[in-house]
Amino acid sequence: MRFNEKELVSLSRQPSEMAAEMGMRGPKKGDVLKKRLVKLVVNFLFYFRTDEEEPIGALLLEQCRVQKEDNQSFSIAYMDEAERKYLFECGSEEQCQKWIDSIVKASYEFMRKNLIYYRTEIHRLTGKDPLEQYGISEETRFQVTNGMQFMPRDTSSL
Amino acid sequence: MKIDEKIVSYFESCDSPVDKEGYLYKKGEIKTSYQKRWCVLKGNLLFYKERPSDRDLIGVIVLEGCTVQLCESEEQFAFSLVWSDPGLRTYKFAAEDETSQESWIKALLSANHNYLALLVTDMENKYKGEIKTLCVFICVGEKEDALFWRAAVRYQGYFVYNTDTLVTFSGERSSTFYQSTQTSALHSYPALAVVTGTSMSSNPVLHAPAVSPKTAGIRSPKLRHKGNANVLPISAPALPVGERSGICLGKEEFSKLHEDFGKEVKELIAEWSKQRRGGAAAQEENLIDFG
Repeated sequence: MRFNEKELVSLSRQPSEMAAEMGMRGPKKGDVLKKRLVKLVVNFLFYFRTDEEEPIGALLLEQCRVQKEDNQSFSIAYMDEAERKYLFECGSEEQCQKWIDSIVKASYEFMRKNLIYYRTEIHRLTGKDPLEQYGISEETRFQVTNGMQFMPRDTSSL
Repeated sequence: MKIDEKIVSYFESCDSPVDKEGYLYKKGEIKTSYQKRWCVLKGNLLFYKERPSDRDLIGVIVLEGCTVQLCESEEQFAFSLVWSDPGLRTYKFAAEDETSQESWIKALLSANHNYLALLVTDMENKYKGEIKTLCVFICVGEKEDALFWRAAVRYQGYFVYNTDTLVTFSGERSSTFYQSTQTSALHSYPALAVVTGTSMSSNPVLHAPAVSPKTAGIRSPKLRHKGNANVLPISAPALPVGERSGICLGKEEFSKLHEDFGKEVKELIAEWSKQRRGGAAAQEENLIDFG
């Protein structure tokens, strides 16, 4: 499968608040814990050998389950497959929780769900669709899927 | 740099929302001719394969750090994805017609992560702003200079409150309410519709009144009712002092609400009364006793 590697490597160089050294273990049997510089940029988790410029690899943070494993570790699992579970060991429980939260919030799908939630709630409170002002209320990617109807409101008297 | 291909493939094939899909002609990466590809845009990833039914992806383009531009091309309806840093590439595409071209350009321009992040932050702030005025007191009548208030919440831009244990909503053109905000600004919102429902927590169905709000002050709007609806027309006499209203908020929640709003409401009542009496000193009104 082809991908735009150079551009993705360039992305990995962007500054990020979430970048730290931690222990990382790959998903396959026999993979051991290795020290890696792990960096979160948009919805990708890049991992580097310390002091190397180019990442070893990139994990797409979509359709994954992030959970705490023990006090200072968390895992990222995909497709419920054991062979696709990456383990990360942080320096502290606080750091561990911070990473979990950041990774969950970084997912594009998570952000989309939030947007739909706020859109629905604002409409419920005000009767107005907040995306109308941006001219994007018809876009499929922001459609409300829970069946809530947007009822037109007669504002001619206001 | 490696990328876990199976994860990426899975994301394309799973049932997460597709932002846009369709055929595009893509300029080859090895051969320079344009090849027809089925493209799927999900979030900030543009997948491409030969046919929609194919399981295997030919490739994926991560849409971060690029701009979308119209470009000079022997092909009609062409556009390109451009990374401007040195050494980084440009992908060239051509759509089948102008509509498709416009539509794809629009979708790709706003596909990046940051765009959505900013939009979500904006919505979050708006939402936080709106819920500040979630609960207010509405003045629903007066009797002998005593003002009667109801705690109300916003719904669909209207104000809704209950007058008995079932939630009812009243449409009164001239119900004014005093909005408690941090800046204590005085606002006046008309309450325009009547809604019926059985509890504040379920989402009641909103029936807009058939009567235009301009005439709603004269008589109560004709409505479809579900359950026990209590309509309070503006011309009705003030509520009998003895009426008790059941508030659907919990007792503790309501006392807190009452307390929080109490101070500001007292000031506002005083101000309102002062205005009415042409500046004569206003007496401090008691807040209604909900019993």
